[in-house]
Amino acid sequence: MAREIGKQTGKEESAPVKPITLEQTVNLAILAGEVMLMNGAETSRVEETMEHIARAGGAGEVESFVIPTGVFLTVTDPAGQSITTMRRVRDRTINLDRIAKVNELSRRLADNRLDFAEASALLGRISRERTGFSLFPSMLAAGLVGGAYAVLQNGMPSEVAAAFFSAFIVRYIAHIVSRLHGVRFTFEFLGALVAALVGTILHGFWPVLGRDIIIVGGIMPLVPGVAITNAIRDIIAGDLLSGISRGAEAALTSMAVAMGVVIILAVAGW
Amino acid sequence: MLALKLLAVFLMGAAVGILYRVPRSLLLYGSLNAMLAWLAMYGFAGYGGNAIGANFCGGLMVGLVAELLARLLRKPATIFVIPGFIPLVPGREAFMTMRFFVEREYSQAVAMGVQTLFIAGAIAFGIFVSVTVYRLILTYQKKESGIGYADKG
Repeated sequence: MAREIGKQTGKEESAPVKPITLEQTVNLAILAGEVMLMNGAETSRVEETMEHIARAGGAGEVESFVIPTGVFLTVTDPAGQSITTMRRVRDRTINLDRIAKVNELSRRLADNRLDFAEASALLGRISRERTGFSLFPSMLAAGLVGGAYAVLQNGMPSEVAAAFFSAFIVRYIAHIVSRLHGVRFTFEFLGALVAALVGTILHGFWPVLGRDIIIVGGIMPLVPGVAITNAIRDIIAGDLLSGISRGAEAALTSMAVAMGVVIILAVAGW
Repeated sequence: MLALKLLAVFLMGAAVGILYRVPRSLLLYGSLNAMLAWLAMYGFAGYGGNAIGANFCGGLMVGLVAELLARLLRKPATIFVIPGFIPLVPGREAFMTMRFFVEREYSQAVAMGVQTLFIAGAIAFGIFVSVTVYRLILTYQKKESGIGYADKG
């Protein structure tokens, strides 16, 4: 607490040149929160980031409430005026690069290493820019995950190659399906379906190749890593509502993967 | 064989980082965490530990290394947790569960399903414990030294 008061007075002495309005503060803070939540940040990090930014804008009191599908923020300035906003978050993707960038931005803003106007320009750029790798490298990466998992399961070199291929194709399916926004779990289901299909077909042509190891390699890139991690971290932080719903998301995703595999195994005739 | 598997884990950590769009400069740290966690798991299993205990050790290592790296590099810990634990995921056990269900070997399926759940739970609980203990130590140190605020990174 003492630190925050000290920081505020320090700010008033140094830079009262262009006062920041309450609206500007709220807009920047909620945009930062929205960007973080959309890209898969955990609840407490979103709340902290918004608080850092709002305090850097001279807010007196900041209250926020974040659930995986929305952000609520109330900022009160020292004069007692307050603004409450909310943003509904519908499309969620995974982009840890953006989270790291917005996180750093909020810390720099809080330490007065960044101007408020610069920060809003930078945040706009972060939320729009394309980051990460393009389709082919990420397909290779998915293949690598599958192939490496096959190595861990003592696969033969040919099986490792088959698992690589299976996971490689699964990532391509993700690319196609990602255009169908708003349909949850389709990608995981179809991905698992394709992985199982690839495993069954390859095993049918070359019985030397273990079918199971190819399928397991193929479904490895579908593991809901962010949902699992965030569920754990949210529950540790005491954000039970978010933690439970993210746990449910992880469980349902795994279920979708399982169903995709089970259908192919059943059809392939047991 | 061990060296080959370690290489596989290393590549897997980096590949998972690429899939989740981890900042490029941090890909190697994720791989490092993956290798340490997998070694912890493998070592424990090699000394006669069961799969659940071994994966708990792996989870502990993931959480610990991720929190240390997060503090050192001032980045969100999630970036290091995800590549760290993906190589430990019980994919084979999960698949065998499904396969036994399809083959109508229900008792084996349930046994394998419970094992899958316990392994997954052990990893999650390992991460949970190490993160919590790490936070507790930090809070204790802060109280002792009288510094008011610590950046979680």
